[in-house]
Order: sequence, then C-alpha cells, then structure tokens
Amino acid sequence: MKTTSDDAGRRAERLLRWYPKSWRARYGEEFAELLTSELSERPESWRRTVDVAWSGTVARLTSAGLTSHPLDPSEQVQASLACLGCTLAVFIAFGAAMWAQLTIGWQWAPPDAIGTTAAMVVMSSVMFVFVALALLAAVPIAGSVLAPMVHRKAQGLIRPTILFLGGAALLIIGSRHFGNGWPGTGGHHWAHQGLVPGGVAAFLWASTLSVSSYWAHPGALLGFPAAEVAWMIVSPLAIVSIAVGATKILRRVEVSPRVLRYEGKLARVAAGAMAVFLVGSCCWIVDGGSGPRDLFHAGAIDVAGLAMMTGASVVAHRAARIARRAGLHLVAG
Amino acid sequence: MTVVAKAARSHTKTDEEPTASEALGTFGRYAGPATLIVCSLAEGEKHGYALTKDIEAFAGVRLAPGTLYEALSRLEGQGLIEALASSDRRRPYRLTATGAAALRVHLATQRRVADLGLRRLAGSWGTA
Repeated sequence: MKTTSDDAGRRAERLLRWYPKSWRARYGEEFAELLTSELSERPESWRRTVDVAWSGTVARLTSAGLTSHPLDPSEQVQASLACLGCTLAVFIAFGAAMWAQLTIGWQWAPPDAIGTTAAMVVMSSVMFVFVALALLAAVPIAGSVLAPMVHRKAQGLIRPTILFLGGAALLIIGSRHFGNGWPGTGGHHWAHQGLVPGGVAAFLWASTLSVSSYWAHPGALLGFPAAEVAWMIVSPLAIVSIAVGATKILRRVEVSPRVLRYEGKLARVAAGAMAVFLVGSCCWIVDGGSGPRDLFHAGAIDVAGLAMMTGASVVAHRAARIARRAGLHLVAG
Repeated sequence: MTVVAKAARSHTKTDEEPTASEALGTFGRYAGPATLIVCSLAEGEKHGYALTKDIEAFAGVRLAPGTLYEALSRLEGQGLIEALASSDRRRPYRLTATGAAALRVHLATQRRVADLGLRRLAGSWGTA
C-alpha cells in the first residue's frame, strides 16, 4: 500500500536529479532526507521546486567550472579548462565551417571586398593559432595520460582516451574521404591560389559538412548521395566524441599545479583568439559582400553560426577567468 | 594574537582571495542564508532539517532546501563549517574556529551599521 512517506521519498529522488552526479555523491543522501521531511510537512510548494531547480542548475554550472563557488583549486582549474574545451569545440566547429566556406571560395576567385579579405587573413591566422595552442596544450596532458597507462594505473582514463582517439580517427578518415571527392578543390587547375592549400580547405569543408542550411530543406537534402547525408550525421557525432573524450581526460588526469597553470595560460590565449576570430567573421558578414560569382555570400547559417560562436566565446571567457583565479589559489596553496 | 587575526593569517592572501574575516561577505546572494546558518550553528551542531527549524524560530525565515544546501556547501568549501560523521542519513554540521571568527567579525560589522542607523534615525526622527 502506498504511503505518504513513500510518495515524498520518490518526489525527493526526482528533485535530486536536478543536481550533478558529483554533488549527489556528496550531499544526495542527506539532502533527500531533508526534502522528504519538507515534502511530508508541506506537500505542495512551487517555490520549493523552483528553489531546488535553481540550486541544482547552479551546482551543475559549478561542476562545469562556470561559477566562482570555492571548489578545491585544482579541481576548479580542471573543471573550468574542461568547460573551455567544450566551448572551444563548438566554436571551432562553427568557425571552421565558416572559414572553410571562404577558403573554398578563394580557391576559385579572390574576394573583391576589403572586409572579406581582412576577415580571411584574421580568421586564417587565428586558425593557425588554434592549431598551435592545441599542440602546446596536448603535449603535457598526453604525457600525464601515457605515464599511468604504462604503469597500468589509468583505469578512469582508458575509456575517454578511446572515445577521443576513435572520434579523431573517424573525423580524419571521413573528412579525407569526402574532401577528396569535392569537385571544387579536387585538383582542378585553379586550386592552391587561395590563402591556404586546397587540401586543407577541402578537409575542413568535409569535416564541417553538417553545419549546413540544407537541414531546413529536407527535399534538397534527399537529392544528396546517401553516403554524404550519412556523413553529415556521423561527423558531428565524431566531433562530440572528441570533445567529450577530451573533457573527461582533462577532468580525470592527475597533473601538477605547474601544468595546470600552464594550461590555464593557454586557455586565456585561446579565449582571446576566439574574440579575434569573432571580429574577423563579423567583418565578413557586415562588410564583406557576396564577391565574384556569389562565392562569399553570407547566408542564414553563417549568421546562426556567428550567434553560436558568440555564445561559446562568452562562456569560454568566463571559464578562462575562473581558471585563472583558481590557478592563483593553487600557487598560494 | 586574537582569534580573528589567527584565522585571517591562516589563509594566504592572493589578489582575489578573501580573508576568513571577509569570507561571509563574499557569498553574494547566499550571504544572508550563510549568516543565518552560522548563527544557528554557533549554538551547537545541527543537521539540515534542524537548521531550517531553528532559523525559522529565531529569524522568522524558512530557508528553502536548495538555498540551504547551496549555502552549506559554500560554507564547507571555505572551511567555515564542517560535516560530522553520522550513522543515519541526516549528517550534522558544526562551526569551525575559522567560521566562529568570521561570524564574530561579520556580526560586529552588522552591529556597527545597525547602531549608526539607529543613531541617525534618532537624530532626525526622534526615538519611537
């Protein structure tokens, strides 16, 4: 027979789901007990539900390293860096799609508007910075992941590493395959006249094929080869695998405070580079124009991409700021 | 050396880190609930539900569960309170020495503000 206490317990468990797993592991049992007592005393209260939902959301943001809640400094830096990594993945996915569109256009004819030319120079430079930052950030982390693996003490790191490497392999192989099939850069005699080699342009075009306004036009999408549509579905999953794998590695790997501070500094440079890239893309959209043969036309998907990148950049700046603050505590500690 | 000074020295100060005596002032929207919680714990250890009841009795405010635990976790994170071992699901909390020092400084500041406000009220509006 159902009792009021059982019902309150079930409702308490449901409310507890607002909180992240790590918070539930620490406070879950006692919090559920308090909620059960509250629910037995006052069964209906929308204010209590809103309060729990709000506090749970704050706890989730804290867990993601996006609030200045005093976590352990080392944990805080790692959480903020992981969050910045996720926002960077979103930013680069949309930014690379935009940049690939422009580099493909430049393979055919140089832009005739100063806004587009300036945007291309800025965006290409920032892309180079992103690659350099990724390599600089990956070296100490890779070392910290490999060392415990050699000593067979990397239980929590094996699955995220597989996820990361699997996603990266899938993205590289698929992008190479579909990039080679792209007639616009597939070795025609105008290729290699842009700012970047045609192969790079084709690779980025293929890896960000899913960032497309064709999703809003299913009729046109059905006319595409099945393999290409399948790639448009699979490639974002590969990007998500890379981002989730990298995030979990960053959260779980044991690194020294010195490495964390170093990664924090790179994070601040990355956040700055995102802002510069945004300025470049705004230059193109506001001042660029369509260019010769409509090659540099900015469409609705580019405006949507710009909005996503702006949002990602705002979150990344906050994460970088919190990582820096926690890094200072780390040194003081 | 006073308890407050000791507590303040126990934290190495960086450009953005508060001292223990400033700690309660850095809680933002949770400063009010945090103050009520440490005031309640000044009497002795209590678990979540007992805290809610005590605060309701002495302050006339019923802290919602989410707010209570958000403030508790922040206070614990700053070392102002600590959780005690418990055999049942309800875990009691108690004030630490740092928490006591922070509360003393915070309440002294509040008292100065209250005294000043009352003096100014009396000067301009007379006593009630």
